[in-house]
Amino acid sequence: MTTVNDNSYDAGIMSLNGKDFADEYFKEENQVVKESNTVVLVLKKSDEMDYIVEEMLVKIFQKKNPTLVIQDRGGYWWLKADNSIEIDCEYASDILGKPYTIYDLLVDVTSTVGRAYTFGSTFTITSELMGLDVKLQDVAA
Amino acid sequence: MAISLATNAATDALALNRAPTSVGAQEVHKWMQDFNWDFKNNRTKYPTKYLMANDTKEQFKLIAKEYARMESVKDERQFGSLQDALTRMNAGNRVAPKWGETMKVVSNFLEVGEYNAIAASAMLWDSASAPEQKNGYLGQVMDEIRHTHQCGYVNYYFSKYFHDPAGHTDARRVRTLGPLWKGMKRVFADGFISGDAVECSINLQLVGEACFTNPLIVAVTEWASANGDEVTPTVFLSIETDELRHMANGYQTVVSIAHDPAAAKYLNTDLNNAFWTQQKYFTPVLGMLFEYGSKFKVEPWVKTWNRWVYEDWGGIWIGRLGKYGVQSPASLKDAKKDAYWAHHDLFLLAYAVWPTGFFRLALPSKEDADWFEANYPGWYDHYGKIYEEWRARGCEDPSSGFIPLQWFVENNHEIYIDRVSQVPFCPSLTKGASSLRIHEYNGKKHAFSDEWGERMWLSEPERYECQNVFEQYAGRELSEVIAELWGVRSDGVTLIGQPHVTKEGKLWTLDDIKRANCVFKDPLA
Repeated sequence: MTTVNDNSYDAGIMSLNGKDFADEYFKEENQVVKESNTVVLVLKKSDEMDYIVEEMLVKIFQKKNPTLVIQDRGGYWWLKADNSIEIDCEYASDILGKPYTIYDLLVDVTSTVGRAYTFGSTFTITSELMGLDVKLQDVAA
Repeated sequence: MAISLATNAATDALALNRAPTSVGAQEVHKWMQDFNWDFKNNRTKYPTKYLMANDTKEQFKLIAKEYARMESVKDERQFGSLQDALTRMNAGNRVAPKWGETMKVVSNFLEVGEYNAIAASAMLWDSASAPEQKNGYLGQVMDEIRHTHQCGYVNYYFSKYFHDPAGHTDARRVRTLGPLWKGMKRVFADGFISGDAVECSINLQLVGEACFTNPLIVAVTEWASANGDEVTPTVFLSIETDELRHMANGYQTVVSIAHDPAAAKYLNTDLNNAFWTQQKYFTPVLGMLFEYGSKFKVEPWVKTWNRWVYEDWGGIWIGRLGKYGVQSPASLKDAKKDAYWAHHDLFLLAYAVWPTGFFRLALPSKEDADWFEANYPGWYDHYGKIYEEWRARGCEDPSSGFIPLQWFVENNHEIYIDRVSQVPFCPSLTKGASSLRIHEYNGKKHAFSDEWGERMWLSEPERYECQNVFEQYAGRELSEVIAELWGVRSDGVTLIGQPHVTKEGKLWTLDDIKRANCVFKDPLA
């Protein structure tokens, strides 16, 4: 399930140890933040979420966005990708075989780094600056 | 007939334009935003120097019905697991002893943060004017009440099932005893609820939650699982499912002020102050609890910090806001140095004053020492040798009469407490970003460990008047203070805190402490 790329949990400096890590960590160029267009999503393990990870994110979304990395961190799934990650709850409902709304999904969405929002039945986490660069939309009444 | 004609007309009209049989939650959310007030003259009790826009959106489009349903499912799952499967598996008693002690602190101190966040998010509800923004803050008020209960429940659960419940049972009355308490109040209380409302939002939501809850509430679950604790992941991962909305609230606070000229003037200073305030406590304390409070290590704390704080929060939150004038915090370089060394500095002091804890500590084992040296080259020469000396002097055994605090006195290593953060430091031993500076104000001396806190104090000295533990107990003998502040077990004489976690080790009593004759002294007096 794990893909090794720049978004992996232990990618870059995190693959180094001991003095090698310290040398890189304390480099002058690494003393200011560096803009990143990645997003991070933490999903709490549950019956529904495990299925969504395996049947939707691995089998479908990872093909659309190969930068997506999914790692098993014990109690939760850790995901990181360039640009955005989306979960469509209508499709989730189909594969789970029961009604499953965006608010059912949010029961097990544990953490986000990036701008996360809901629109209709879709949950999105994006690197875009929602509300600043891109307007947050309302559903049609 | 007239009625039939009307019925037919209505039936025809509905056939063309069908009435909805149900309304989606997000449609209700949109409709409710029309129930707005005229906020041209918003009169909040909690003003801000920034102008918060009136059209800020809420990212999750929550209404009360869906919110309540969602949270009740979370609670059913959490309490179901705790009271059914985990109880039958005796999960609370399968925890590595050191980690069970660590959770006495983590859960109880987080409870205080959650409690203060209730007031903080209610204050922001009052300060904001956009209805959707208010809705987001209001949801957070209810979340924080839930989290306060959850944290209290973790201590309650462990008090029933952990092999040494002292500390879990009475954390609320004994937690004020040690020097970690007041620093925690600085970040979790003062930082969240006093001062400018937007500044509080930056402290609570943009830094405290978006940055530090990931190591504090997410990464901690990995350490817990590695140390046999399945109780903490069950509760803490459920807590964090609300935090993403709080992070969004913090981001929307910034969105709401982004176009206000005041943001260009003040935001970077407020962000840097908030970042330093939060990191000054969380960085050393979390690192200490994870690495020194566990038997099985997940990864070096500095790597956890580098991932969640520097790369992800720094790059994805702060870095992306660069084009709106948000800058890398000026204190970041010192914070990175702290992330590497400050938790080692803090454990040295925490162990030296172990009798003031409501939890047990343990010296690093040989296995731990090898791990520390491999991951923090230079650790052994600076810290490891000191622990070896303390162990050789019998610091774990009450018959030795040796409390490591005496070693600091014997070797002229003075311990100070930073006035702004209330975090203790020893200038002659620190490897983190601390160095001593002293100011006098209104006839009273104040110690500082860094330029960032010093700057905050210089601009608002009246804000940082909290008496530190050395001032509070100056001239008093240690066992007296412990007894007065409930630092003993139910027999009335055995300390809750102990300098080891072994079941067969002897436990220290008030008499043992009294024989050591440690008297509190204010280094600035």
